[in-house]
Amino acid sequence: MAERFDDDMLVCRCEEVTVGQVREAIRRGACDVTDVKLRTRAGMGLCQGRTCEALVQAILRQELGLPADKTGYSTPRTPQRPVSFGTLGGDIDE
Amino acid sequence: MSKVYDVIVIGAGAVGTSCAYHLVKKGMSVALIDMRDIARGSSSHCDAAALLSDKQPGVDVALGYDSIRRFLELQEELSNPFDLEQGGSLTVCETEAQMELGAEYVKAMQADGYDFQMLDKYEMKQKEPFLADDLPGGFWSSACCSLSPFKLCFAFVDEVKGKGLDVFIHTKVTDILLDDKGAVCGVDTDQGRFTAKNVVNCAGVWSGKVCDFLGLYFPVEPRNGIILVSSQTAPMCHQKVQEYGYLITKFQTGFKQDPLVEKYNVTMNIEPTEGNNVIIGGSRNFTGFTEVADINVIRAIARRAIRFFPILKDMNCVRAYQGMRPYMAEHLPVISAVDEVPGFFIAAGHEGDGIALAPVTGQLISELVAGEKPHKDISEYSYSRYKGKGPKA
Repeated sequence: MAERFDDDMLVCRCEEVTVGQVREAIRRGACDVTDVKLRTRAGMGLCQGRTCEALVQAILRQELGLPADKTGYSTPRTPQRPVSFGTLGGDIDE
Repeated sequence: MSKVYDVIVIGAGAVGTSCAYHLVKKGMSVALIDMRDIARGSSSHCDAAALLSDKQPGVDVALGYDSIRRFLELQEELSNPFDLEQGGSLTVCETEAQMELGAEYVKAMQADGYDFQMLDKYEMKQKEPFLADDLPGGFWSSACCSLSPFKLCFAFVDEVKGKGLDVFIHTKVTDILLDDKGAVCGVDTDQGRFTAKNVVNCAGVWSGKVCDFLGLYFPVEPRNGIILVSSQTAPMCHQKVQEYGYLITKFQTGFKQDPLVEKYNVTMNIEPTEGNNVIIGGSRNFTGFTEVADINVIRAIARRAIRFFPILKDMNCVRAYQGMRPYMAEHLPVISAVDEVPGFFIAAGHEGDGIALAPVTGQLISELVAGEKPHKDISEYSYSRYKGKGPKA
């Protein structure tokens, strides 16, 4: 990835996190996707990192010179897409 | 590492960062070491409250109150915000029998001097209009606080980093080193050796593994809990709310309710967050060292939450996460020096109270390491309760 993103570009739309905020998190010690998430909320919104994860990984590679297998991934969380509490809580085998 | 520190703190969760902060405040140099990131373990996989209404009368609530008092001071003391708000909490009873037990509990808390009040159905609905209509009432505790646990950890660190505190994240402790007299002299890590005359074990659910390096008996185990996160919502819940059964499952088992929720040891608690969603718990299960959430427990939590807040039925859940509570059978943490190993201290085993008790725990540890008399009686939290047990005895 040769292109360098501008600091004010939005990385995570759901939580409104910019490239600059991700870079600041990395400066303060974040080394992988989960570290960045914890410090910025990138990946914690409605889409759960589907859009921003690849961008966060790219910024980590750029800033820290990490290889592709060292930037990490978001932890998979149930449910995989939004589902109502009623659906979750109903019709369970007891 | 050629630098010699006064203290090494192992574990950068709420308890470890608080210990590090309070030790630096006493003028000591501190190395804070964590195998992952700051607040990467239980302190970011939890809810966001410091409550009195989940404590037992006596020493338990006294320590909780002391910690809330310290939280209020820290809000002024720390430069970075951690979103502290003293909004109180509401405990909801499901039956008349629970109302009677709740009234006894409230009376005991009032006798200890805390602001607790019984609420009838109508007073309760004024505080939380979306509660189910059939609930008979509950009680209110005004001193309870909400806060952001991981912001708290970062606030502790940022305040003293470079001014006495050095932080080493992604650094795994592999051994604790003793001198020829059997006293602590440092730790080995996968990033090199650290030298210090004092080591504080703040490793939470992993603190037993740290004690293993010294052959010390420390029976802590993960008691896991799951939290469901709603999508962003208009306000539907205005403060921390928990069902009375939450108290019962915390301190005992066998609480009789819906068979499904009973099977998965689930009781309802809910709170609004800064992100305009609500987070909903909770469960207490011994499922080992894992952050993977069981779908059956998730579903039981959803069902229990709808029982109290029917409005949730059509609202969306966007994710669920599991955290590990450092459980000890006595329901009391250890905040103590270890007589067997001079220079070794433990601040761990807080179960679900690690966030709530972090401030006072850090303060007490700083007093113990400095050789001062602790500002309150902490004999209940002494490691000596395990004297004569385990391999080192």
